[in-house]
Amino acid sequence: MEYRIVGGPTYSILEVALDPRESVVAESGAMAWMSGSIELSTSARGGLFSSLRRSALGGESFFQNVFEARDTPGAVTLSPAQPGDIVMVDLSRGDLLMEDGAFLASVRDVSIDSSFQGFRGLFNEGLFILRASGSGSLFLSGYGDIQEIEVDGSYIVDNGHAVAWEPTLRYEITRGRSIRSFLFSDQILLRFSGRGKLWVQSRNPQALADWVYPFRSVVREDKDDEDRDDRER
Amino acid sequence: MSISRITGSGGFKAALVEIAPGERFMSESGAMFRSSDNVEIDVTTRTRSTGGLFAGIRRMFAGESFFLSEYWTMDGRPGEIGLAPKLPGEVAVIDCTGYGRWVCAGGSYVGSSESIDLDTQFQGIGGVFSGESLSFLEAAGKGELIVSAFGAIREIGVDGAFTVDTGHVVAFQDSLEYSLGKAGGSWLQSFLASEGVTLNFTGRGRLYVQSHNPDEWGHSLGRLLPPRRE
Repeated sequence: MEYRIVGGPTYSILEVALDPRESVVAESGAMAWMSGSIELSTSARGGLFSSLRRSALGGESFFQNVFEARDTPGAVTLSPAQPGDIVMVDLSRGDLLMEDGAFLASVRDVSIDSSFQGFRGLFNEGLFILRASGSGSLFLSGYGDIQEIEVDGSYIVDNGHAVAWEPTLRYEITRGRSIRSFLFSDQILLRFSGRGKLWVQSRNPQALADWVYPFRSVVREDKDDEDRDDRER
Repeated sequence: MSISRITGSGGFKAALVEIAPGERFMSESGAMFRSSDNVEIDVTTRTRSTGGLFAGIRRMFAGESFFLSEYWTMDGRPGEIGLAPKLPGEVAVIDCTGYGRWVCAGGSYVGSSESIDLDTQFQGIGGVFSGESLSFLEAAGKGELIVSAFGAIREIGVDGAFTVDTGHVVAFQDSLEYSLGKAGGSWLQSFLASEGVTLNFTGRGRLYVQSHNPDEWGHSLGRLLPPRRE
C-alpha cells in the first residue's frame, strides 16, 4: 500500500494506491473517488458489540468501509469531513487514543475500539474516546492544521482542539488555577502529563458553529403561540 | 519581550507566542488552544490604562468578548501559548513599537502584549447605516499586536487616497486620516450596488485588509439555516 497526502495542509485528502489483495479501512462517508476495480465491503468491524460501543459511545460510525483491490491494482481517495490537515501515525510505536471524529483511515491490521474515560469523559465530548491498536499506518484528520507536540512533563490543550495522544500521557480536566478563570472562562482545558506525543488542531468546529449561530434569523416564540391560539379558536 | 511567530503554511494560520518571565500577554477570551503548563491563565475585564469594568463593557459593545484572557508564567521560566482565531484564515503579527496607534477591527483582534493599551473607538456609528457590526479597538504602546483575517491578509502601504469596505478592514495605523463613507457617488447608488459602508483613508500609513468579509459570509449562511426561536 502506498499513500500520498495531497492538497494539504488546508484541503488535505488521502490518496491510497492498492496492489491486488491489498485494502484500506476508512471512516464511513470518507470515500471521494476510486478506480473501478476497487471493491467496497461494509462491515461492523470488530464484531457487533465493538461496533455498537464505538458508534454509540465513541461517536464514530457504526460501520467502517473496507476498500480492496481484487485482481488488478487501483487507487482510492479519502476525504475528511472538515477542511484541514491529515497526518499519518505509525502504530508500531504503540497504541493511540483519539478524539471523536479524528479517525480517517487505517490499514487492516489496526483495530479501533472505544475506551472508557470515566468521570473525566463527562466534560470531554463523551464518556468514551477511541483507542487504536495493532500495527501499521493510521490516518488522523483535523480541522485546520494539526500540530504535533512532544510532551515531557505536562502541557495544556483546549478541549475542542485535542485530536490524539499516546496512551503514555495521562490527562485531566482543568480550568486554569485562579477562581476567576474558573468562574468566568467558558473554556475547558485538558492537562496532559507524562511523556509522549500529542496532536492538536488549530481550529475548533464548535467555535465555528457558535460564530454562525447569531446570523440565523429570529422567530418570536410569542407570535407562534398567538397563531396556535387562533387556530384553536 | 514576548515573541510571536505564525504557525501553519496553509489557510489556517495561528500564532505561537513565547512569553518571557515577568511579562504578560492578553488575548481574546478563548483564543488560547495550547499552552505550556507553567502558564497561568486569568480572566480580566481590563487593560492597564483603560481600567475598570467600564472598559470591559465597552469592549463587549465593540464586538469583542467582555472578558480578555491574560497569561503569564508562574515559575520564572519562559512559556508558550498558541492563539487561534475562530474563522479560517491568516494571522499577522504587527510590531507596534514606534508606530504610534493602530486601529484594529473588533473581530480581527487575537491578542497583544501587556504593554499595549487597548481602547475602543467610535463603536456603533456604522451600524446605523449598514447593519454591519462596525467596531474598532485602538491599540497603542510597545509590543506585538496579533490580528486575524477571514481568508488571506494583505498589507497595503497607503499614500494618498484609498477606500476599503468596512468588512474588509483588519487594522490600520492612525497616522491615516479616515472617515466613514460610501463606495458609490450617492447613498442610493451605494445601496443599489449592495456596497456597504466604506472607510475612506487619506494620508500615509500601513493598512491590513482581509480577502473576505465575515459578515457577508455569516449572513449567507444564516439565511440557509432554520430560524432560531426567542
